[in-house]
Parts: sequence; structure tokens; C-alpha cells
Amino acid sequence: MKTFFRCVGLIFLCSMANEASSQVRGVVIYDNAATELSTPSPFIQSKDLWVTLEELTRATGFVVKPQGVCRRELCFPLPKQRKADFLVQRGKATWFNLSEFARLVKQPVADDEKLATWCFGPRADGQNGYLETLEAPNFTLPDRNGKLHSLSDFRGKKVLLITWASW
Amino acid sequence: MPGWQTFYHELKDKNFEIVSVAQDTGGVKDAGPWIEKANAEYTALIDEQHLVTKLYSMVNVPTAVWINEKGKIVRPNEVAFVDDRFKDYSHMDAGPYLDAIRDWVAKGERSSFVLSEEELKKRLTPVSPDRLMADVEFSLAEYLYHAGHGPEAIPHFKEAQRLAPDNWNYKRQAWLLSDADRDYGTNFTKEVQKLNGKPYYAPRQMPEPANKPN
Repeated sequence: MKTFFRCVGLIFLCSMANEASSQVRGVVIYDNAATELSTPSPFIQSKDLWVTLEELTRATGFVVKPQGVCRRELCFPLPKQRKADFLVQRGKATWFNLSEFARLVKQPVADDEKLATWCFGPRADGQNGYLETLEAPNFTLPDRNGKLHSLSDFRGKKVLLITWASW
Repeated sequence: MPGWQTFYHELKDKNFEIVSVAQDTGGVKDAGPWIEKANAEYTALIDEQHLVTKLYSMVNVPTAVWINEKGKIVRPNEVAFVDDRFKDYSHMDAGPYLDAIRDWVAKGERSSFVLSEEELKKRLTPVSPDRLMADVEFSLAEYLYHAGHGPEAIPHFKEAQRLAPDNWNYKRQAWLLSDADRDYGTNFTKEVQKLNGKPYYAPRQMPEPANKPN
């Protein structure tokens, strides 16, 4: 009998541990910057990433407005019939399905389920934009002292951009 | 890199800049000593996230892009060695390439090495959905690696390599971060052998250096 209780106790502990691991705090990598989410998602069964509206803005800069999901002048309207696929009210919080949004705007996503880490990449039209203008894609990176430089700082000069690696 | 410093010294007063970008997950720890040793006076940046590899669809190092005063690309991705130390891999002489840069710096848009818009659009191709997925898998893997999850990063590095099989940067960088033979079942030497005579670097499509008087 004692053994039985010990087993049950163990199962109970295990299920608690499972509960805890399913509530691992997620990490969102968006525009190459990582943000740790602070509110565990209540959508445990979902393979999609749900975030609160507050965390949506913190992690991605996007804000849900009546006209759509917007960042600066860019706005993506949500399909009227499918609003419930994107926005769900739970208690006081409104949750947003960031994975569904990525599918809507054709944005690639990779995730690691166990480590609850989600990486969102650039949309294809953003990545291919320079093929039309032939403008060299800009970037801002540090030198070895940590000072930031942008390619656009050199406008007015000819630039030989060379990549290399230590490996 | 010391070679590029010499070359830079020759041309730096002609409205010309070298922006070199290290594609190193290890960042300043891995790339810094090389930059220091070269006494580089040109702009030497460090790209821990391989942003330039992704933005410009590069597959190899060293790769160079020529950008004019207006910020427009005039020659896209090309292998760019400053000397002939790696000629076994490149099968190309460095000299004519450096002469081509000199020609461009002297003549600007009149240089025969500056490509027409039509030719540029032919050479620059849109990225495939697989390539975009490869980029996010690689970014995720790098993040996990930095977060102390080296073993968990490996499947994502592998996925990036599977989706972008031509990208040597994604292969070589990942192999370096662990034991390539143990974790990837291969290594650089083995993969180069598999090319079986096919060039490791895409051959340059460049006119013969013109000896036109300036």
C-alpha cells in the first residue's frame, strides 16, 4: 500500500513537472532580436504561438488596430471571416496568434518545440525588394570595438563589400 | 586580410571604401584577432547573425559586391581573393580581379566591369521559399547555440543545410561549432571531395582586363 502511494505521488510529481515544462516561457526572435515572453500561453494544445497584444507589440512592434495589424505605415488587414483565427479573448487578456499571422503575410517561421523558441524571418517581398531597385540592402553592424556602422554611411563613395570568416 | 589593407592603402584617397564583414557566430572573439593582426584601417565589421549572407544571398566566403556612390549594386556576388593562397579552391587568379576594381575606381560607370541593369537583373535572382526557411532555421540554431543549447541547435543547423544545400557558409559555420564528424557525419574535406571536380567557387563572369588608356 505504501508503495502504491509512493507511485501515485511520483506520477503526481511528474505531471506537475510536465505542467511546468509546458509552461516554459517562450522566446520570440523577430527582426533578428530575441524577446522573452512573460505570460505563459493558455493554449497548451495549440502548436501555434499565441501572445498577448502587449507582448505582440513588445516582441514585434506590431499593434492590432481596427484597420489591421500595423507597424508604422505598414498595415495588414485581418480577413473579416477569420478574425477568430487571430484574436481570442481569455479573461482580461486578448491573445493573438502570431503563427497564423506569419502564414497570412507569408513569413517563414522556424521553431523549437522543446525550448519554446520561435524565429520569424523576413517576408519574401522584403527580401527580394532590392532586385527591382538594385539598391544594396542596408545593414548596421558593430566593429570589433562595438561601434556601429551602416552601409548607408558610405553613400557618396564606391564601396567594395567583402564577407569573410575566421573558420 | 593584410593584403586587403595594402590594396585599401593604394585606393583609399580615390573616394573608395572597403567594408569587410566577418560571418562569424563566434563574433569578436573569433574574428577580432584577425582584424587586429591585419592592422585594418578600412571598415571591418562583425556579423554574428550572418545577416549579410542572408541579405545578399551569399553562399561562400570570401564574396564581394561592388556598390556605387548612389548605393546601387554594380557587380553582385563574386569570389574575391586578394592573393593566390587559396588558388587550389578558387582556380582563379586574384590579380585580374584587383585590376578590375582599380579600373572601376578610376573610371566609375564607364568601367567595362560595371554591369548593365539588364545583366544585373539576370544575375540577381529571387530567393526561393526553401532558402527563406533555411535562413530562419539557421537563425534559430544560432540563437539556441548562444543560449547554451548547443546540442539542440544541431537539428536546426542540419535543416538549414538541407534546405540550402549550396550554402557553404551554413555548413562550415555549423561544423565549426561542434564536432563535424560526430554530429554531422561529415567534414569540410569530405564535402569538397564530393564535389568531384566541380568548382567550389562559382567561376567569375568577367571580361578580360582591358588595357584601355584612362
